[in-house]
Amino acid sequence: MDCPVCSNEPMIVLEYNNIEIDFCQSCQGIWLDQGELELLLGSAGDSDKITKMLKEKVTVHEKPRRCPICLKKMRKIELGDQRPVMIDQCRQKHGLWFDRGELKDILEQLQSQNDDAVLKFLRDIFTNST
Amino acid sequence: MWEVIKANQRKSWVLFSLMGTVLILLGFVIGASVSPEGGLIGLIIALAIWIIMSFVSYFSGDSIMLRMSGAQLVNHNVHPQLFNIVEEMKIASGMKHMPKVYIIPQEAPNAFATGIHQDQCAVAVTAGLLSRLNRDELQGVIAHEMSHIMNRDVLFMSFAGTLLGSIAIISQVFLRGTYYSSFSSRRYRSSSRNNQGDGVMLIIALAVAILAPVLTQLLYFAISRKREYLADASAVRLTRYPQGLASALEKISSSKLDLTTATKITAPLYIANPLKQKGKKLSDLTSTHPPISERVKILRGMQQGVNLNDYQVSFNKVKGQPELLIPATALKDKDPLSLRQGSSKKKGPISPTQQAREIGDLIRRVNDFLFISCACGLTIKLPANYNRSQVQCPRCQKKYHVQKE
Amino acid sequence: MIGLIVVLALLILAVISVVGIYNALVQLRNQVKNAWSQIDVQLKRRHDLIPNLVETAKGYMKHERETFETITQARSQAMGAQSVGDKAKSESALSGALNKFLLTVENYPDLKANQNFLSVQEELKSTENKIAFARQAYNDQVLFLNNKIQMFPSNLIANSFNFKQEEFFELEDEAQREVPEVKF
Repeated sequence: MDCPVCSNEPMIVLEYNNIEIDFCQSCQGIWLDQGELELLLGSAGDSDKITKMLKEKVTVHEKPRRCPICLKKMRKIELGDQRPVMIDQCRQKHGLWFDRGELKDILEQLQSQNDDAVLKFLRDIFTNST
Repeated sequence: MWEVIKANQRKSWVLFSLMGTVLILLGFVIGASVSPEGGLIGLIIALAIWIIMSFVSYFSGDSIMLRMSGAQLVNHNVHPQLFNIVEEMKIASGMKHMPKVYIIPQEAPNAFATGIHQDQCAVAVTAGLLSRLNRDELQGVIAHEMSHIMNRDVLFMSFAGTLLGSIAIISQVFLRGTYYSSFSSRRYRSSSRNNQGDGVMLIIALAVAILAPVLTQLLYFAISRKREYLADASAVRLTRYPQGLASALEKISSSKLDLTTATKITAPLYIANPLKQKGKKLSDLTSTHPPISERVKILRGMQQGVNLNDYQVSFNKVKGQPELLIPATALKDKDPLSLRQGSSKKKGPISPTQQAREIGDLIRRVNDFLFISCACGLTIKLPANYNRSQVQCPRCQKKYHVQKE
Repeated sequence: MIGLIVVLALLILAVISVVGIYNALVQLRNQVKNAWSQIDVQLKRRHDLIPNLVETAKGYMKHERETFETITQARSQAMGAQSVGDKAKSESALSGALNKFLLTVENYPDLKANQNFLSVQEELKSTENKIAFARQAYNDQVLFLNNKIQMFPSNLIANSFNFKQEEFFELEDEAQREVPEVKF
């Protein structure tokens, strides 16, 4: 699977504590397969919360990206309450694309006490790498 | 064991001749209905169609089946346990050649064997099967598949399948042809040429064309089901552990998933029918596989021993009425073979997440991903097209060399 | 004249059947040999795996020196055995030692989680199975051969051409498979 931002850059898969993400080494974006975000957040209750928070953005400045699975253009959506983050979602529900650090921002906003391990993992990745 | 094969071959010839007779009859009456002297020509055309189809399936049947299922050839490193078990069964059965091992990257649990020639046979299992079964259960499934190869079921089923296919095609073409021509030609033909003899022949031909496919299909299904039982019996004789196959079958049948790459044509070759009949219960006559619950009951009923005779005894008990499943000559196989103790730990239901991870990893292994376990607890999985010479763990910054063969 | 033809015919028939029986015996003897080589391959493989197993486990099981010694000793004894009977005996002892070892492993969760150890364990387990299945095939062939050598009329030919009965390869299977009691 190639990174939707950098052309011809194969993404690598990282697994930690039962969390699995596709990671691009050059732009540090993260691809989450369908259902992985829910898993990341743990409980089923959260997944409702997420879908409610997803808002489609009609007017955007960011260039549309293509889903790495079906290669069709993804739509832009906003996620989060106070500091909304714009992410890409495949229209065929293959998954979500987060630019560098976006996933960490979202989790920090959403973080219910439980899944600190996930957050710590993401912080490790983004604080260490430059 | 070898007696079973011999008896199978004898029975196969009977069935072949029966199906062949239907084909010849079909060709003849269709030919005769077209013109009074056409019987022989029709017969020859029908045989020619079958011979061509047989050639195609004989020389490419394996690869077609494997390609249609999306199976990928794997080596020992991808799944050592699977590879070992196949080798164990090869030794147990005394087969000369090691079958090729394939994994089908799909979640539905299932398996099949191909191999018209014993020296190039193959077994294929799905990733979903591997993630669900423990060692004993997997051994049962592999033994079942290898029994299909040893009993020459693959060869037989593909020939019978082409016969079935030829008959279906000829009937279809004829029925459609008559349907369309009944509008056009009758109007222009003089009634004097359409004498009564032709009319009777046409009706006979129509009747045969309608009945022949149904008849041959029922024959085909009946034999296919018998061969499933036989493969179960031989499998148990190989592994000496009926419980393993029984619980594997239960796990396979409890899955609601359909194999997306299976078709009606390839379905009889799988260990369990890959196409779950949603909603409707098919009658026993038109099913390629015996009901799994029955197969499990027979296997679980084998308390005394595991030779072919023991299977027949348990089969009779479950079925209620005795039906000779295993040829009488093979039932002489009365050497007391004792059951073996199960040796692997129970593999209970695991969480859907974990199962998805296992299946995902297996599919990646099949696709030549490189797995690196970093000391910090992170696992890095590199795709086959990863083009740098080293990779840095994003978490702890440790660097790893990427070695590709 | 007719008498001569009858005698001649009988003689030819006798020669043909002697040749037939002789060939069948040779074939059986070869099959036995072939089956034995299958077992031999697997036994060798087991001997090769053991140092690997010990090496992987040693770091984790510091207090089990005795167990390792038993295994190593049983292994070298098994490697030295020559006759079928000797081999059967020493291989049984080795199987026993290995089984005991695998039971001890249960007390070391770290070792059980070690990827290297797991893969050696799978190889070992598979080799044990292969030995069992190969033994099965071998004993079947030996039974065929011995029956032929004992039964009339093939016994006459077997005796005059010096065919010998072969030994069965028996491991003390049942005793060995029973799980030894673990006391605390």
